[in-house]
Amino acid sequence: MKIARTFLYLLLAATVEARAQSIIEQLDNALTFSAFDGSCRVRLSGLVDLEAYHLEQPAPALIDTDRHALFNPRLSLFLDAQFGSHVYAFAQSRVDRGFDPSDSGGRMRLDEYAVRVTPWDDGRFNVQAGKFSTVVGNWAPRHDSWENPFINAPLPYENPTGVWDSMVPEETYDLLQWSHVNATDKPQDVYADKYLRNPIIWGPSYATGMSVFGALGKFDYAAEIKNSALSSRPEAWNITDVGFSHPTYSGRLGWRPDEMWKFGISASVGPYLMPSAASTVPPGHGFGDYREILLGQDIRFAWHHFQLWAEFFEVRFDIPGIAHADTFSYYIEGRYQITPQFFAALRWNQQLFGSIRNDDNELQRWGRDAARIDIALGYRFTEYTQLKLQYSLLREDPAQNRYNNLFAVQFTLRF
Amino acid sequence: MRLPLFLPIVCVLLLIRTTCLADTVIEGHVTLPKSHAAPVMNKRYEIVTKNGVVATDPPRAVVYLEGKFSKPANLPVQQMAQKNLAFVTPLLAVQAGTKVEFPNLDDTFHNIFSYSPAKRFDLGRYRSDERPIPSQVFDVAGLVTLHCDIHEHMRGLILVLDTPHFTTSDTEGHYRLTGLPAGHYTLKAWVDSKTTKEQPVDLKSGGTLHLDFP
Ligand SMILES: [Cu+2]
Repeated sequence: MKIARTFLYLLLAATVEARAQSIIEQLDNALTFSAFDGSCRVRLSGLVDLEAYHLEQPAPALIDTDRHALFNPRLSLFLDAQFGSHVYAFAQSRVDRGFDPSDSGGRMRLDEYAVRVTPWDDGRFNVQAGKFSTVVGNWAPRHDSWENPFINAPLPYENPTGVWDSMVPEETYDLLQWSHVNATDKPQDVYADKYLRNPIIWGPSYATGMSVFGALGKFDYAAEIKNSALSSRPEAWNITDVGFSHPTYSGRLGWRPDEMWKFGISASVGPYLMPSAASTVPPGHGFGDYREILLGQDIRFAWHHFQLWAEFFEVRFDIPGIAHADTFSYYIEGRYQITPQFFAALRWNQQLFGSIRNDDNELQRWGRDAARIDIALGYRFTEYTQLKLQYSLLREDPAQNRYNNLFAVQFTLRF
Repeated sequence: MRLPLFLPIVCVLLLIRTTCLADTVIEGHVTLPKSHAAPVMNKRYEIVTKNGVVATDPPRAVVYLEGKFSKPANLPVQQMAQKNLAFVTPLLAVQAGTKVEFPNLDDTFHNIFSYSPAKRFDLGRYRSDERPIPSQVFDVAGLVTLHCDIHEHMRGLILVLDTPHFTTSDTEGHYRLTGLPAGHYTLKAWVDSKTTKEQPVDLKSGGTLHLDFP
């Protein structure tokens, strides 16, 4: 209790007191270590997020609770290390109630760790190995709570589809059941199996593997080989849990005609099943037949106080004997800095599902088409403290409760 | 008979002129804090060229004379440029009322902002060809800490002073303030955001005073 109170005081103080401000500045210096005449430097930094949700059931996206309110504190610790001028390493460790907002107990994870070698000064080529966010798209580089103008992720990164990674559907009926395309499904039914379902990209997708990337003039490129698919859950990102026998290949090509505009195209292909699904794979098929294939396009525009991002994903889940389950998802997001400290953001998201032949040989959509609007307001009290408020309205079709409202608030302390 | 009368006047005028020209100077040494370790760049999700080696400027002090001085009508425009993802001059001292320009000399965006009470601003994202060069007028005395919204490691300081008599020391801590008015003042040495040292000074016209801030 005492620790909690001190912590709360520190947070409050950090927002109002100049003294606490300078403590954070001092902390910044104290958390930078240097050895071998400065050629080896290490910096420890972090984010403390206190976030709360008021939500309707079934809990939207990847939020894991059957209640209407959720408090989700999170501590993220980052380590950045520079060894000479050619080797860089980083790590991210988190203490929270689960990778995605949930009502379970506290836990600690090592979410990211990687070593990067940069042989040439101009950045034309880098090679990186470890566990780190995907090169696909343009959201991963701005997904942390300080950079993200919203509290949640864009819809493609968190909207569950009817695809499970722990089991193969025996018939089309199973897939349609898992997708909850039946309008009479009650919210509790939809909630019950939610954590078995996979989105097309699971958050920043910190899977394990290797990447090469670099910038050549107005172009940049990135390619990676990872141990699990973009849709895979956090438990599948660890090499110790899933191994490397069914890798996913992804890449992105970027073009920057001038600093204002950035365009990118991405592609990814790889098996999406977890090893535990092996016993459900019918004879004559293997893991490699259950592939996720993704094509992506991304745009970023920035000028003065305005920033705009958009991403489009065309995804196919191969389910042999049942369907090519296709879906298209996109979002358009704008952020405007109204005053030096106050900003507003607006995001329009949609996910549309293709049709498959059901057991009666009729064409039927294999998921609930979803549209979501996100509105956020943010205020930076200092360089180290930020408050965000968000409202999201989700409409799903077909669904018993067509509309789902979400309110969220998040306070972040950066050090 | 005119000449003898004229001579003393010329002498007096000459005397006045030399006193005016004789510069009043304070010089000395400020003990500077140890250099901070160079910042470690957060390159987790970015391809940062230049290998992430950020040049760091060793600490310097700003020495200034405190007192009541009239403000000149036109203060020269100062610059605080950004190059190689760092401020070219990480510490700039200016007189209150000075306009400071923030040219971007890199081929990437910068977004300089400050939340310091002495001046809150956000220049937004701008390129090297941005015209007019983004600028701010610093009216209120105090320390302004500059950050970049894109490059977390970038730090710059503008010390806004209510006096025209100030100088920035060299990296050894040596300073020399010239052209000072005679009188009784306080000489201050700003060392960092937490440390400003001060000493009273009695300035006599044309004299050179030696003063150290240990
Ligand atoms: Cu910058």
